[in-house]
Amino acid sequence: MNKFIEKYINGTLALVLLVFYLLFSWILHRTGYEHPENLFIAEKIKLLFDSKDNNLVTLGTTYPTIVFLAALIFTPFGYLFSPILASIAVTVMLYYTILKDFKETSKLPDFVYIPLVSLIFFLHPGLIYSAISGRGVAAILLFFYFLFRSLFRYYRTQTTFYLSMASIYFTCLVFCDFNFIWLLLAFFPFIVLVSLEGLKINKEQAPVSQYFDSVNNSSQRRKLTNRAVAIYIILFLLPLGALLLFGYLNDTHAGTSTYFLYSQYANWHVLGDIPIGEVIGGSSKGSNAGFQSQIVFQFYVLFLNPLLFLTFFYFKGKLYEFFTLVAPFILIGILLINTQSYFMIEYYLIFLVLGFIGLTFYAGKIFTKKATWFIFFIVGLLNVFTGIYYFKKTNDDFEKKFFSALRDYKNWLKVKNNSEDYMVAQYVSSIADINNKVLMDDAAAFQIVAHLKSLDGIELPINKSFGTVIENPIVGVKFMCVAKFSNRLKNYTVLNSYNLDMMEAKGQFITEMVYQTDNWVVYRIYPLEE
Amino acid sequence: MAQCVLHRMALENAFTEEKLDAVLNIAEIYSYAPIKAALNFGFLVRRDYIVFLEKHNASIIDLRNEELDEIYINQCDISHMNAFLYLPLRKNENGELLIAAADPFDEKLITSLVIKFKCKIKLLAASDLDITWLAHKLRGGFFVKEAVFSLMKKHPESSALITFTDGQLYFIFGFIALTITCIIVFFKPTFIAINLLSSLFFLFSILFKLYLALTGSKSELHSVVSKSEIKGVNELTLPVYTILLPVYKEDKLIRKLIWNLRSLDYPKAKLDVKLLIEEDDDKTLNAVRNLDFPANFEVIVVPFHMPKTKPKACNYGLYFSRGEYLAIYDAEDVPDSDQLKKVVCQFRKLPEEFVVLQGALNYFNKNENLLTRMFTLEYSYWFDYMLSGLETLDVPIPLGGTSNHFKLATLIELGAWDPFNVTEDADLGLRVFDRGLKVGVVNSTTLEEANNEFFNWIRQRSRWIKGYMQTYLVHMRNPARLIRQVGWRGFFGFNFFIGGTSFTFLLYPILLAFFAIYMIFKFAFIRSIFPDWVLYISIFNFVAGNVLMIYVNMLAVFKRRYYELILFSILNPIYWLMHSRAAYMGLWQLITKPFYWEKTNHGLSKLSSTSAVVTPE
Repeated sequence: MNKFIEKYINGTLALVLLVFYLLFSWILHRTGYEHPENLFIAEKIKLLFDSKDNNLVTLGTTYPTIVFLAALIFTPFGYLFSPILASIAVTVMLYYTILKDFKETSKLPDFVYIPLVSLIFFLHPGLIYSAISGRGVAAILLFFYFLFRSLFRYYRTQTTFYLSMASIYFTCLVFCDFNFIWLLLAFFPFIVLVSLEGLKINKEQAPVSQYFDSVNNSSQRRKLTNRAVAIYIILFLLPLGALLLFGYLNDTHAGTSTYFLYSQYANWHVLGDIPIGEVIGGSSKGSNAGFQSQIVFQFYVLFLNPLLFLTFFYFKGKLYEFFTLVAPFILIGILLINTQSYFMIEYYLIFLVLGFIGLTFYAGKIFTKKATWFIFFIVGLLNVFTGIYYFKKTNDDFEKKFFSALRDYKNWLKVKNNSEDYMVAQYVSSIADINNKVLMDDAAAFQIVAHLKSLDGIELPINKSFGTVIENPIVGVKFMCVAKFSNRLKNYTVLNSYNLDMMEAKGQFITEMVYQTDNWVVYRIYPLEE
Repeated sequence: MAQCVLHRMALENAFTEEKLDAVLNIAEIYSYAPIKAALNFGFLVRRDYIVFLEKHNASIIDLRNEELDEIYINQCDISHMNAFLYLPLRKNENGELLIAAADPFDEKLITSLVIKFKCKIKLLAASDLDITWLAHKLRGGFFVKEAVFSLMKKHPESSALITFTDGQLYFIFGFIALTITCIIVFFKPTFIAINLLSSLFFLFSILFKLYLALTGSKSELHSVVSKSEIKGVNELTLPVYTILLPVYKEDKLIRKLIWNLRSLDYPKAKLDVKLLIEEDDDKTLNAVRNLDFPANFEVIVVPFHMPKTKPKACNYGLYFSRGEYLAIYDAEDVPDSDQLKKVVCQFRKLPEEFVVLQGALNYFNKNENLLTRMFTLEYSYWFDYMLSGLETLDVPIPLGGTSNHFKLATLIELGAWDPFNVTEDADLGLRVFDRGLKVGVVNSTTLEEANNEFFNWIRQRSRWIKGYMQTYLVHMRNPARLIRQVGWRGFFGFNFFIGGTSFTFLLYPILLAFFAIYMIFKFAFIRSIFPDWVLYISIFNFVAGNVLMIYVNMLAVFKRRYYELILFSILNPIYWLMHSRAAYMGLWQLITKPFYWEKTNHGLSKLSSTSAVVTPE
């Protein structure tokens, strides 16, 4: 019996977590919570399957590609639900992998690591969010975990297999979030240090002395350079090659090689990333943005992740492995130089995952069993609280909404709320048919399109006729869905109030407002002679 | 105790007593004449020996110009003549039978010959090499015929004597006719289908290679035989190990060869080394004759018979092999010194069904020029990763040209090599699987000389690719049977690895031309034939395929710590174009002269093998 439990405990716990996340996603859906990234992906899937034109552009340019492809797998469960199911599945996979790695790699007994990992996956709001928001956070965490795990395994075995696996995971990570390509620079210190391993120098010395020896001897210096360059190439060729290829295909089929990065039709982040100036100068009540500066951010991350702090303790004296753990901090430092947007939760959660990786490799070597159990439990609990603290202080509206929906447990089962986008979509669906077409621009209205029952009777930029219709709407459509001045995304779409005025000024048609919400308005259009 | 020339030499201090004991011991084990053991196991220099004979009034006759009476020769068995180094010539005017012998003082031989011929005999001193040459030439006919036709007689379905069967010809011409008809009737859809299928095939075969490489790279984690196990081997328990060295006009490599063999860590007496020389190859034979230090191999002369191929020579050599295990090396090969012991240990640990072990091959002249660098990249991934990957996945492994180690008895049972197949080694590896047996990989390297000359490389490669095509055709004569024998996994592995490799090379220039026309020259007519999604997929496949292939190349040299070669992987597309050139040449030869053996010239490298050091991680 004990053996049976030991064998199947991880799988059983993963199943329980799956049910737990599914339940929460249903509850949150009832409260009307929907993340726009989830809707963006859902809309692209809808376009892919329901639209008759340009499916190739949708399939070939939507980014983050991995998140989109993962959601595609779950399409049979519904377009809207598939990104959520994908993120739940990926988070559960991460949970299962961490448990498995603890079992196989660490020296911790089951009763220490299982409660620790489970506590965090069941109660840390960040991980619950990554699972049920339908965002790409879960995929980022999973591939981040795999990448670093492969690197640590490479250190242990010095086999090319793990280095090439790291490269493959790195490619996947970059196709989950482009910013991670900057690990290219962040990895530099550890790659140089790990290159020392292959040299014939006195390994008993301190790494600094080894480094000194190697750079002051021409033969060793050449070997060090060759090895460092070789590791660099092996690690980065695949992601860079994949990006080049992807850019190339974007160029030939969408007109520009950076289409997947900068087009609002291909990448949700173009719309969803909040400029830091907007956060600080705006009405947001959070304070996380205040910590997003060099040095401070790193300390804030450590404060939010006591688990990682504990991990550092285990890495004492393991210089290049320590530098590997530090690489994401350097990454953030690099991103802070260039990025003008507010960092969302994925950039905090990667450090939590990093803590787990470190512990799977070295935990259990220092303390006694009892002390370990106690310390780990306290640290796990602390991590849950810091997770809650993060959400209290976040500046991202959708993270805030998620957290308040989560806290408002009294109303979970009482009311079923429908989002504004859902309401507009219901109305558009009721009026649209083949003879009464509705002109929409999914650059901003993707959330509405995602909720539509069908694309029949909808004129979208993906349609070949869109160019003609937008020039002279009266020839092709009866209705227009327009973003109001209050709509945050109004500048990303041609169908906004300002452009409507311009169109009307050309004197081609007159409009009649038939439906409106806070951010959207639907007009019926008539030819001038009517 | 019967005396021989060595005893006389010992008496005159021209040969030590210890050496004499060792030689007699070897002669006993192998049932050889003592002089043969002395000359072939590194105890005696031929020249010294001849000088000694001449000093004792036994001058060497010019055997090749002696008058021969075939009645006497026909009474002799080639194996016996070969082992005791004699050749009956004719009767002289005194009624004595004149017999040429390498050791005219060998009393045991004299006694046995008197009994055999039942007459008086007179031994004349002759060069052991001339005796061997003439004995094989005159009496090796049966064995050489067996070497050529034995497989065809035993397993006609496995012989490449017939290149295309009727069924295969019907299929090929039917397919061509169908394609042409489709192009005429449905021009656009047919082109779309051809484009998609070929680009998908290209990508898939490279993905398969990447998968194999990753699977194979895991094998770095395990070591079947540890260094301490090799150190702890009791040499008394080691079996006799035959090494076959097929050579043709490799006179410049003979000295190198001896030094390489000497570096092998295996009991001298248990190394049964056969240098297989073609009958018309006087150059190599004379190089052996003129050596000024003891040789540690036995010369076997392969009588003339078409086809003049390496497998025929090896098959012939088998009839004279004495080992429990057998390995094949090329003349210029430098195996790891512990390779044979490692193989023995690994065979002892593996299940009985493992009958062949393939060693890794690499090059000692890797940095000589661009071609040798590219060749090293290719061999590194092929032998270090691909073969390990195939072994792990239990997919048929095509053996490499050298460093294959066999269980001799099983090799004979299998019908040995197919002399009509120009990559007989790859074919044999597949035949092993076909019979439900297994090929393994041994983690030991043999350094070879990389081909450093462009046209020489093209010739060599065209033979290899032609051989792969031959092997594919032979084993695909009955696909249903092949599936039954090797399973679906083995079948797909075989198709993608053996069939796919040749086909990919043939396809590559076409895909490259398509890519160039579309992407570089941006010819609009391409867009009128192919819809966007087809172009998207085919460009993706082609570019991704190339990047992955470059990557696979990089992985293997990283493992070998040849860091300086890593950037040369980027030139892989050019290297593949060279393969394509060779593939078309191979295809043409497959149709016009299927058994023609494109000879590769060795010994072109200016670098010495002794400077090369293998340092696998």
